[in-house]
Amino acid sequence: MRKTSLLWRVFWTAVLGLALALTGPGLAGMAAAKEKAKLVVWWNKGYYKEEDEGMQKIAAEFARQNNVDVDITFTIQDDLGPKIISALIARRVPDVAFCFFTDWQIAPKFAWEGQLADVSDVIKDLKPRYLESHLKTGWLYNKAAKKWSYYSVPIEAQALGSHYWKDLVQEAGFDPDPKKIPMKWDEYWGFWKKVQDSLRKKDPAKYGKLYGIGMTESSRATDTFYNFEQYLLAFHGEILSPEGKVIAAEPKNREAIVKTLAFFTSIYSEGYVPPDALTWTDADNNVNFNNKTVVMTPNPSISIPGAHFFTNKENYYNKIGSILQPTSPVDDKGYPYLVSVKPIIIPKGSKNQALAKKFIKYVLEPNNFANYVKASNGRWFPSFKDVAADPFFHDPKDPHVPVATDQHLNHETRPFYYSYHPAYSQVYTENVWGKAISRVVTEKWSNEKAADEAISRIQTIFTSWK
Amino acid sequence: MWVGATGAPAGRESLMPQTTPVIVASIATPRREPWARKTALGLVFCAPLILIFLVLVIYPMIYEVYLGLDWEIYTSIFSDPIFIQTLWNTVIFVGLAVNVKMFLALLLSALFSTEHRVTRILGGIFLLPWAIPALPGILSFRWMLNGQWGIVNKILNDLGFAGYPWLVRRPTALAAAIVYHIWKYLPFWTLIFVAGRRGIPKELYEAGDIDGAPPFQKFRYITLPMLRNLYLICCLLSMVFTLGDFVIIKIMTGGAPGDSTHVLATLAYRYTFQMGKIDWGIGTFITALPITLLFIFILIRKIK
Repeated sequence: MRKTSLLWRVFWTAVLGLALALTGPGLAGMAAAKEKAKLVVWWNKGYYKEEDEGMQKIAAEFARQNNVDVDITFTIQDDLGPKIISALIARRVPDVAFCFFTDWQIAPKFAWEGQLADVSDVIKDLKPRYLESHLKTGWLYNKAAKKWSYYSVPIEAQALGSHYWKDLVQEAGFDPDPKKIPMKWDEYWGFWKKVQDSLRKKDPAKYGKLYGIGMTESSRATDTFYNFEQYLLAFHGEILSPEGKVIAAEPKNREAIVKTLAFFTSIYSEGYVPPDALTWTDADNNVNFNNKTVVMTPNPSISIPGAHFFTNKENYYNKIGSILQPTSPVDDKGYPYLVSVKPIIIPKGSKNQALAKKFIKYVLEPNNFANYVKASNGRWFPSFKDVAADPFFHDPKDPHVPVATDQHLNHETRPFYYSYHPAYSQVYTENVWGKAISRVVTEKWSNEKAADEAISRIQTIFTSWK
Repeated sequence: MWVGATGAPAGRESLMPQTTPVIVASIATPRREPWARKTALGLVFCAPLILIFLVLVIYPMIYEVYLGLDWEIYTSIFSDPIFIQTLWNTVIFVGLAVNVKMFLALLLSALFSTEHRVTRILGGIFLLPWAIPALPGILSFRWMLNGQWGIVNKILNDLGFAGYPWLVRRPTALAAAIVYHIWKYLPFWTLIFVAGRRGIPKELYEAGDIDGAPPFQKFRYITLPMLRNLYLICCLLSMVFTLGDFVIIKIMTGGAPGDSTHVLATLAYRYTFQMGKIDWGIGTFITALPITLLFIFILIRKIK
């Protein structure tokens, strides 16, 4: 009797379990269908908490106004870049993604492979507001559809500035006023060498290991690529034609590459750049500057003084100076500033593309976006004229932000070569210039040989992207 | 006092009357479970594990090999100027780091096998590197070796020697990664060998003592033969682990200077997660697969 009862109990439990297993997913699906639409957003974690808070506020307001759920997560760029790439490869994607590495590491390649949604309709609405050179970054080639179109929405950018310690310059016996820093090529670099020599002579114990120029020259830092290509423009060198053809081997361009390489390797070999600059990460020039082991460092944003704004106002307003780049060594004139423009993407696999586009438009509404971008304290310059007109970017009392504003609004700017051809994103990731510098410095190659190897590598990479 | 099975004291047990056990033999032979049913039942119990193994090990491996079948992948990655150097770096890193570490572990295990209070305290301290998380450990090494303000150069300078840019030259940068690996994992393998030494019967050493064998001969003829299999297995295991080690090179050198210190794991990461070329990443691992499989094959045979 007891045995029969136990068997029945087991039998009914099994039946119930089976029924639940079969109907459960269906019931859950029905329940989910009645729930609000959910937008999954992967966003780059800001450098300051105010940036994340600003974006969270925008997302919450968008969710409230549209009666949807916005699942927004913040991740640092070093992790978010690989995360987005993995998601695109596995085709399990978010609806919206924004990462500081997207412009060079993600958008060109995945637009080429046809894995990004066409956002031309979003751009069409925003076009009158855009700074022209910033917008070019979004214009990418889709090999699958065989067409050029907008596959990303540029929102903010950075360009190469230089920062220096005014108190160190003064102690070396020079006028630290930004207007008094010589801006002709040879005089400019000679100035920082003189500051180093003077300080070391003045107090060898204190300044024996201080360097005049904090130039990142490592193959592991993107700053190296930024610095090299910016100064290559100073030497009037070009790697690609506007049509995306490799022209680096042309005599004029090869010569410019060799000269740029010689410039980088000579300031290193002469002892005006810290020895470890050859192994620096992107953060290390900031660290060395903040530790006052370098007097001046070129940096592709004003993040260095920006960090001091929150911790040491004296440093921000009085001790750190910001300037632009010296004139060309070729003709003593200015040259275009390279802008690294950060875009938002919508993966083609997103099931909420319409909502995703609506979200992007909402984020980029002038008031919303101005509040967000200002929270980065000038680290990022907005890609929109109306936001750039905000008094924050023109405050005469601020010694740093208006310098970047002047660079973006009053000087010629242009995008990096990966906007001309997606194959260049691989050249960038391989950091061919960092490798070339190392060939000369550590392996004692000639500048010509190292330049030829880099040019040859660029040509090989382009051949594989046919 | 030991009490026998009957409850009587052991010494008197034999004096107790012996009872003859009654064996009730069954007329029918016991029914044996059919082989198929037994196997099926076993399979049912093993099913979850088999399923996990199929999904998480077999499927990814077959899929990886399938993705790696394209010959073009290998033409592409071998045309990358840093690939061959990376292969060599991997051989140097794995070969030197594992062998030096294991040899030192074998030697040190003798010290920590001694039953002395001092060695027990030393053993506790010696284990610390193993307990320290990898990331702060590697960063500390990196900072100590900084050419400008690292403590290693500071000490050299104070002693009157010139400093050296340790991480800026390929040989010393690779050496730094190897030294870190040894520092970090030496305690673990030493512990394994200490356990191995404790499993050697003491009688063998006593016999050696009686025969007047000096310590080196005892090591040569007792310890070494008894630990040979364990040593080989540990070496192979460590090689498999080290071959896939990504963190040390990634944090210590990041491939710098000039991408000259990459190992296969860091290069595969760059191909896959920075360039989005999963096929190149797979190709990189597949080039190491024959060696890895050889290690695993020898390992399995040795364990059997």
